[in-house]
Amino acid sequence: MTVTSATGTNRIVRPRRVVRSGEGKWAWLLVGVVAAVLLIWEAAVSWLQLVPAAFLPPPTEIIAAFVRLLGEPEFWQAFVYSMQNLLIGLALAIVVGVVVGLAVGWSPVLRFTVAPFLWLLYSTPKVALAPLFILILGLGNESKIALVFLLAVFPIILNTMEGAVAVSPSLVSAGRVFGVNGVYLGWKVIFPATLPYSLSGIQRGAALGFTGEVLGEFLGGTGGLGHLLEFAAYQFMMAEAIALVIVMVIIANLTLWLISTLRRRLAPWYDDRKIVGAS
Amino acid sequence: MTTTIEPAEDEASVSSLISVRDLTVSYDVARTGKKLVAIEGVDLDVREGEFVTVLGPSGCGKTTFMNVIAGLVKPTSGQVLVAGEPVTGPGPDRAVVFQDYALLPWRTVFDNVKFGLEMQKALKGSGWRDRVQEAIELVGLSGFEHSYPRELSGGMQQRVGLARAIVAEPRILLMDEPLGAVDALTREVMRAEIEKLIAATGKTVLFITHSIEEAILLGDRIVVFKSHPGAIKEVIETGLARPRSERSIQSDPRFLELRDHLWDALQGEATAAAVSK
Repeated sequence: MTVTSATGTNRIVRPRRVVRSGEGKWAWLLVGVVAAVLLIWEAAVSWLQLVPAAFLPPPTEIIAAFVRLLGEPEFWQAFVYSMQNLLIGLALAIVVGVVVGLAVGWSPVLRFTVAPFLWLLYSTPKVALAPLFILILGLGNESKIALVFLLAVFPIILNTMEGAVAVSPSLVSAGRVFGVNGVYLGWKVIFPATLPYSLSGIQRGAALGFTGEVLGEFLGGTGGLGHLLEFAAYQFMMAEAIALVIVMVIIANLTLWLISTLRRRLAPWYDDRKIVGAS
Repeated sequence: MTTTIEPAEDEASVSSLISVRDLTVSYDVARTGKKLVAIEGVDLDVREGEFVTVLGPSGCGKTTFMNVIAGLVKPTSGQVLVAGEPVTGPGPDRAVVFQDYALLPWRTVFDNVKFGLEMQKALKGSGWRDRVQEAIELVGLSGFEHSYPRELSGGMQQRVGLARAIVAEPRILLMDEPLGAVDALTREVMRAEIEKLIAATGKTVLFITHSIEEAILLGDRIVVFKSHPGAIKEVIETGLARPRSERSIQSDPRFLELRDHLWDALQGEATAAAVSK
């Protein structure tokens, strides 16, 4: 909702409550749909036996496998292995991505020389490089961390870059007028102004990085959730395999939720809907 | 460009706080490879404590003119002296109030005003807290210290911009259409407050506007700009007594005379600008 004042300047007034209660209604509908799908699934496999349970286990079996999984130390070992690689790779990607993104976004010279290559690399299917990484870096953590980093770093760089370009010139002027210069200007004005963009890139990077981690473990690994999943699938333990996929979905969504909460906390002035950038 | 400075001019530049000498600013337009002349051959002297309004159509280079004095834009030729010293960059003797407020959205009102003291490096002692608080009170924002810009109306945001500009006690206030984005009623109220504030603090002001009424109401002198290229068309003494109330001045014959004169001057300019585009 916009309120137009006498001079025609718009002030955005957010109808928060209305949106919330509407979302509540949709949430119930979603729960209903999911329950219905699960019910039909269970009926089709267990009662009507339309599909062999060996290929598609019924939801009850998957839930049982899920609970069993949570009780196994082997699962938690794999969980820690995957999360460790993800966090290290992501941390590296955040540091490199934000620094490079700020530098390229801020310096016109770098923007014209480096940015085209960044876009090119961003649009390259980096997943294709995964076997190469494993060949070079081996089956251990290093190849996984490298894959996480490679997949996560580009959205962070490109979003930060776009954010740095979009910083209002008058904010920069204000910084200079009140005596903030050089690196100090970057720290006091450019970096905070770009932060919501960076966080949006980090969110996308985290999702892609997790894909990279699982993929690395899949292609050649000795541990982690991806390795566990591959093992379960080869042993034809479908319930376990699907339960592991559910674990991954939960991890991915928790990560996204965590970062978007962080973004609301760190940059409450920024309107989510205004962020457009590399996806 | 070389100019011989005559003794009389030299004297003038010493007695005036700001003196602009044959100032030209041009930009290279990368796309066409041509030079765009923003302002050309501008001369102006501003005395200490004077309130000068700069009036002109949009695109006439008046903002560029102000940015050179602020030290944000380097002159292509000519120079700007402040208190006899050539301007080489921004300095604590000059502060700017921006049209779009240019507040840091991640800082509270208090911290935004504090930003005005960054250059002074006066943040070490404890005195700066009182100065920030004083500036906030002066613009009538007591009680909003912990609010964020997004929670304030346009008029209130510009009060923050004003407080940030005066907190470091600069000699010169450069105001770039500060009330351009504020609604009509707030503009009237703030115009009167700015006049009062300036009268109380005795600052030298360069106030850019495209409103004829605003230029007359606030200015001791009005500098009229013309466009293509931007240059001074004329400089007029308003000669109106202060304080000027918006209502009483509307019927003052001098006000009406000035308004008619400026209308004619600007109308020709606006038409020329529209045609050349």
